Amino acid sequence: MNVIAVSGLTRRFGAKTALSSVTMTVPRGGVYGLVGANGAGKTTLIKHILGLLRAESGSVRVFDRDPVADPTAVLSRIGYLSEENDLPGWMRVDELMRYSRAFYPGWDDAYAEELRQTFALDPAAKVKALSKGQKARAGLLVALAYRPELLVLDEPSSGLDPIVRRDIVGAIIRTIADEGRTVLFSSHLLEEVEQVADHVTMIREGRIVLDAPLQEIKESHRVDGRLPSLDEIFVAHAGSA
Amino acid sequence: MQSAAAAFAWEFRRRHRWGMLAILAYILALAVMRLTVEIGNDKAFVIAMILPMSAAFLYFLAIFSFGLAGDLAARQSMFPSRMFTLPVTSTALAGWPMLYGSIAMMVLWLATRLLGVWPAGARVPLFWPFLLGPCVMAWTQALTWMSYPMPGLRVIVTVLWLTTIDAIIMAALELRASEGVMLALLAPHVPLAFLVARFAVSRARRGEVPDWRRAGKRTHVATRGRDPFPSPARAQEWFEWRQHGRSLPWIVAILLPFELALLFLFRQTPVIVFETLCGVLLTPPFMAIFVAATVSSGVTPFITKRPLTTGSLVAAKLKVAMRSTLLAWLLVLIAVPIAVRWSGTTPIVNDWLRELVKAIGMPRAVAVAALGLALLFASTWKQLVQSLFIGMTGREWLIKTAAIGALTCLGVIVPVAYWALGQRVIVAKLWVALPWILATLVVLKLVAATWVAIRLRDRGLVSDRTLLAGAVCWDIVVFALYGLLVWITPAVLFRRHALALLAILAVPLARVAAAPLALAWNRHR
Repeated sequence: MNVIAVSGLTRRFGAKTALSSVTMTVPRGGVYGLVGANGAGKTTLIKHILGLLRAESGSVRVFDRDPVADPTAVLSRIGYLSEENDLPGWMRVDELMRYSRAFYPGWDDAYAEELRQTFALDPAAKVKALSKGQKARAGLLVALAYRPELLVLDEPSSGLDPIVRRDIVGAIIRTIADEGRTVLFSSHLLEEVEQVADHVTMIREGRIVLDAPLQEIKESHRVDGRLPSLDEIFVAHAGSA
Repeated sequence: MQSAAAAFAWEFRRRHRWGMLAILAYILALAVMRLTVEIGNDKAFVIAMILPMSAAFLYFLAIFSFGLAGDLAARQSMFPSRMFTLPVTSTALAGWPMLYGSIAMMVLWLATRLLGVWPAGARVPLFWPFLLGPCVMAWTQALTWMSYPMPGLRVIVTVLWLTTIDAIIMAALELRASEGVMLALLAPHVPLAFLVARFAVSRARRGEVPDWRRAGKRTHVATRGRDPFPSPARAQEWFEWRQHGRSLPWIVAILLPFELALLFLFRQTPVIVFETLCGVLLTPPFMAIFVAATVSSGVTPFITKRPLTTGSLVAAKLKVAMRSTLLAWLLVLIAVPIAVRWSGTTPIVNDWLRELVKAIGMPRAVAVAALGLALLFASTWKQLVQSLFIGMTGREWLIKTAAIGALTCLGVIVPVAYWALGQRVIVAKLWVALPWILATLVVLKLVAATWVAIRLRDRGLVSDRTLLAGAVCWDIVVFALYGLLVWITPAVLFRRHALALLAILAVPLARVAAAPLALAWNRHR
């Protein structure tokens, strides 16, 4: 069964076409890397998956439900972290945990506390007083503590130091260690995607140009018998724009 | 752009061009009216001027102090931190916005002075009010750009300081001070405020924010030890309460002592005692108008991603608005009897109550008082929630259009109504047509409510049961209000069907019900 099924999704913002007839499926289990240049349409696609954008044409199904018609059922099974950390600044870390726990029946107090200690987050600290890296960790904590079936990460590492990036990669590995869980990971830090993704979807100007298992993509782009890096494949496709 | 001064000016012009254009258009329209129409000494024209000019005054204060973009209650300076890295001195950072703000205030006064219709024989001063606007502007800027050691202190300090300046000016006017004395009183303020503003900006630029909270900081009680929320809806109510719910009670609590102090100062003057108590009773609904803007604009991306139905998100806002209203009124209902007793104005208040009982009898007097309080209470809640259907759309263009439209309507309707009420023939015609006017408004309201209900049902935003329960509750409140109105209103004054129409119009329906539609439009774009 597919966790995500997008079919013929098109979205325009005024004269600009952000997504054009996008069709993709994400089966249960594994890490799906969504790559593309800035403005390629990665965030727009993720917003459709979260139900924050309504499909103009085509359809989006998450856990076989429409995320716009049934946001509660869909969002309660998704853990989400984005580059634009929008956690409320006035909350303390412990208040954020208490508040978030109410929405997710699967919230695991012991796991949340373990994550808080691993990330060295002071429970009395206000979110607005946290550094960018600590905010990302707080966001990661509330995205992971209920062991979501689908973890969606939208450019989570942008502008963060290597230690926080390591935490994020660790979170992905931790999530997929739980059998049957799925990660959709959007990034333009391709070495990170290459490190954890099983399957890569590349978007360019709102269209999917590559959608296959990572190893298969590499094999199909073999140069002089050498397997190229995802970086090289990306540049090759971006260059042919 | 050739200089920093031009860049600052461009930013104000570019960001607030529509508001400034609206004010300019209004001033031009006023000038055309003044030149082409024989106005005489018309109070309606004065009202038509005062309302928009006062709104423009507040608007200028807000934009030139960067008050629209910052958190008024925060300890940090409200001066935009992005400007701290500009390669200009703190003098320039504080000075240019202050200069532009002062010029805007001067232009506003000149327009008011030259285009206004003043009572015959009245000597309206030109110069000292010309200085008063920049003085208020400069102090507002200086005090909003200052960092404070406690959250909320900015509001208290600014209100107290501006009230003090106002009191000094009023006292000087009461003592019939000459224009020279008034100028001498006001002249030092702008340079003084500039020095304070420059100090505030340079301190904020260095990141210095004093903190007194450490001294008296309570031991942090870990939330882990507290009970979890029993449901997502309760968690959302807690969120709304912490974010917006406390604002109205806080504002009422800050204003009440100043208002009630007048009872102690003017205990011998029944008229002022009456006006003070009326002012106190109108404080919660009036302040709710301003708090409403924050309540309806608080739909962040974080909230839209909560796994909660749109109906539940709106319900949390409505419930918290009710709790906020309750607390604000509790403060008023506790403070007023205490202040009346301590100020020795109890005999005055008792006399009014005795006269009321004598005129309409004890049961009706109790009913009138209860109805009055209930209406004020309901009005406070209504003010807090009635703009949700606009604010929750998250569309800035719609919110700005609605605000400008409301102000324009107010600027036109109030003077027109004032003028119409002065014309006997028109009043008589309006009285005859009143049932038809009310009936038309009721039809419009019910059509809008039906459309909203159908849309809510079609989109699955509210369950059939909730819709039915809402409709039944609304009917009960309307019937109760109608019954009360029939009982306390003399039959000769209003026919029963007119009272029924009034009751239907008084109880909120369509706009409150439209809030989930607005949020859904915002949540799933």
